[in-house]
Amino acid sequence: MSFLYPAFLIAGVAIAVPIVLHLLRREVAPEVPFTAVRLLRRSPVPRRDRRRLRDLLLLAARVLALALLAAAFARPYVPSAAGAGLRVVAVDRSFSMSAPGRFERALEATRAAIAEAGAGERVAVIAFDERADVLAEPGSAADARHALQALAPGFGATRYRPGIEAALNLSPGGGRLVLVSDLTRTGWEDDQPVTVPADWAIDFRDVGDEAGNVAVAAVRREPDRLVAAIRNAGHAVFDGEVRADLEGRRVGQVRARVDPGATADVVVPVGVPAAGVLAVSIDDGGGFAADNTRYLALDPAARTRVLIVMAGGPGRPSGFFLARALEAADEAPEPAVVSMAGAEVSKLPPSGLADYGAVALLSTRGLDRPAREALGTFVRHGGGLFVAAAPDVEAALLSDALGWEPALAPAATADGVLALAATDLRHPIFEPFGALAANLGQVRFERVWRVQDGGWDVAARFDDGTPALLEREEGSGRVVLFASDVDRRWNDFPLHPSFVPFAVESIRYASGAVHAETEYTPATAPSGAGPHPGVFRLASGRLVTVNADARESSTTRMTPAEFQEMIRPGAATAAAAAPQAREAEAAQSYWRYGLLLMLAVLVGESIVGRSWS
Amino acid sequence: MAESTGARDLTFLDPAVLARLGTMELKARTVVEGFLAGLHRSPYKGFSVEFAEYRQYIPGDDLSMLDWKVYARSDRHYVRKSEEETNVECHLLVDLSASMGYRGSAPMSKLDYGSVLAASLAFLMHRQRDATGLITFDERIAFRLPASARPGHLQTVLLALGRIEQGTRSDVARPLHQLAEALVKRSLVVLISDLLDDPEPIVKGLKHLKFRGTDVIVFQVLDPNELTFPFRGPARFRDLESQQEITAEPSEIRATYLRDLAGLTLHYDRALRGAGIDYVQLDTSQPLDFALLAYLAARSRRK
Repeated sequence: MSFLYPAFLIAGVAIAVPIVLHLLRREVAPEVPFTAVRLLRRSPVPRRDRRRLRDLLLLAARVLALALLAAAFARPYVPSAAGAGLRVVAVDRSFSMSAPGRFERALEATRAAIAEAGAGERVAVIAFDERADVLAEPGSAADARHALQALAPGFGATRYRPGIEAALNLSPGGGRLVLVSDLTRTGWEDDQPVTVPADWAIDFRDVGDEAGNVAVAAVRREPDRLVAAIRNAGHAVFDGEVRADLEGRRVGQVRARVDPGATADVVVPVGVPAAGVLAVSIDDGGGFAADNTRYLALDPAARTRVLIVMAGGPGRPSGFFLARALEAADEAPEPAVVSMAGAEVSKLPPSGLADYGAVALLSTRGLDRPAREALGTFVRHGGGLFVAAAPDVEAALLSDALGWEPALAPAATADGVLALAATDLRHPIFEPFGALAANLGQVRFERVWRVQDGGWDVAARFDDGTPALLEREEGSGRVVLFASDVDRRWNDFPLHPSFVPFAVESIRYASGAVHAETEYTPATAPSGAGPHPGVFRLASGRLVTVNADARESSTTRMTPAEFQEMIRPGAATAAAAAPQAREAEAAQSYWRYGLLLMLAVLVGESIVGRSWS
Repeated sequence: MAESTGARDLTFLDPAVLARLGTMELKARTVVEGFLAGLHRSPYKGFSVEFAEYRQYIPGDDLSMLDWKVYARSDRHYVRKSEEETNVECHLLVDLSASMGYRGSAPMSKLDYGSVLAASLAFLMHRQRDATGLITFDERIAFRLPASARPGHLQTVLLALGRIEQGTRSDVARPLHQLAEALVKRSLVVLISDLLDDPEPIVKGLKHLKFRGTDVIVFQVLDPNELTFPFRGPARFRDLESQQEITAEPSEIRATYLRDLAGLTLHYDRALRGAGIDYVQLDTSQPLDFALLAYLAARSRRK
């Protein structure tokens, strides 16, 4: 039994008050002034023993009531019922657990670990691979068992650290972690030992076995053939077919033989098409299913279609230089740049922007609210938005559409001629410029937006320090803001040779095409892809493949001792003890019982005092 | 005589209400006016046969006293007021002893209750044009105001009662004998005391008064605690006058005490009624109307 506020126990000295009063008054009958004393007859005070017993009972009741009151204010709790009473069962759900019989053993071990929970011990269940999810918050064993129904092996790779850290976060004050895993060595790959507070105990339930695994570790396209790397992590020679399917149609097949522990490049004699999705697969009934097939996207890098929202009306339309710059860089026969006035954009269907990889916003004139909301949705779902400062762009409308806090509130100034300077030459927009980035300094900017950079990353500044090129992530998309005009009204940028690469790279960066990878693992898959292996087309039009992490195909396992070496005992979480104690005290609320008992004692005292007087 | 007061509103006669009132005059006026307003018949029907004056009829007056001839002449109701043949001389004797200062569970002490009773009687007497005198005493006479019916005399009596102070030991018999010797005409003596002394000397003194042709009314004023002895738990009872102490368990002696008190009351009742003396026991938690009715009954016998 501990107390949250032990200082209140000092109030227990008040117990001395009734004791002192009892000692002072125990033999004295109170004086009562009266008149007809001559009619009274002296009588011995009877039943002295009974009175003494009554007095002792009353004294005990009063002392007990005061003690209970002081104890209630001190907020008692039982520490053992809190931290030590938590059992977290963390179950490995990486695809290595899909080996025949392995996950069934894991479930069995998990149920056993839950069943071992003592009376009153709370149980939580965590499933982990590269990330950890709490399937059952600390609660009853029945809830924990119920949560197992949703548990199945996934497609991720083993990472022990997220699972352990998730368990520690459940109860900073300590507990017992039961880790159910096949103890694959790759789970600690590239990871440092994890420090676990001393008030945590960790058990391992090794459900692994010596099962082998054969995986398609990699697929690469060569001009006239397809090469698949087959890794045999088993104990027997792999001698089987390697198949290549193009969008469901078998285009090649070859028999391969791979020795145990070896990786072999298998050439599949197939004329590799220019486009499509190739799936290379093997049969491995005794290993992990997720790595038996590997996908390869054969599509050329998708061109980024760009919609230029320009100012309509008579005269020279805006966006002329930008459109020419983008078209100059596009060698495809079909135009990838479309220019529309705001009013025309407003007439597009809600999903009309989905056909574009990026939108260059040079005017907000004519954009109605649905169009602005569609623009915000487009960006948040992965689209790119390039905004150039222009007289026709109303920053308030843009902030409203994208929900920016604080709202964009630029001030257009013309304080002399400014020059542009890239802040970071390694930035994807300026990296292609190389040493020629200095040429940007030749551009004369006569009018710019002065933008507060709160919420933005600055990629380039004017020579007076004002942000010139800013960017920010918005949902899955990206916004690039150029703080001056691209129509030669505020500067002479379009007349400079550096304008074309600047425009192309800015639009490409906004659309995400600059760092467009085509192959992901389930853990790194972008929004709209995964989390299982396969081929996916993103909202930006990019075709990506998601393949199982090849490292997880390894069957190398750790011994519990080796695993234990990765667990470093740390100090007890003293800092967390106070909140833990408060949590335990709040959960137990023994002080309420103390006060109720005190009331009961006082009622009893009253009854004894009245009935025996 | 007046009718029963059982159904009357006694709010303003309640000791708890009176205790909160300011001056003795206000208390006395409240008691008497409240008392009279509740009577169905006026107590002021003449004690004499000699015409004195006409008075406007007020509700409660006996219809037999209406002068129909005056009504026939003036179309107004008047009653005939009679001059008493003899003004009664009333003496109020108030016991100041320390025991009268006792206040148990009642809203007023016995002395306060007795003072208000004396003031109310004085007020009533004054309205009846009786001469009123006041004697306060403990073991000796502390204050004496000769009987008088002068208009300002009532204020003197009320002022004296308002300034009354508690005395020490009591000796009721002594002033009774002194008064009996001093009275030269037939009078009405009202004794207000708790009568907790030795009863024999008191009865003897009262009989002495009666022997001298004086009508006597005795009000024994007792606190509810004295009447019921409600004490609980061992206690050391200290006498307010003699300072005598007796330690006892109340539950053990309650029955004996109440029996002795009843015996004392019975003794007074028998001895005094046998001598033609009115004896009324009052509870300080009860309204004063009972005492006033007792006085009026005694007063009416003197017409």
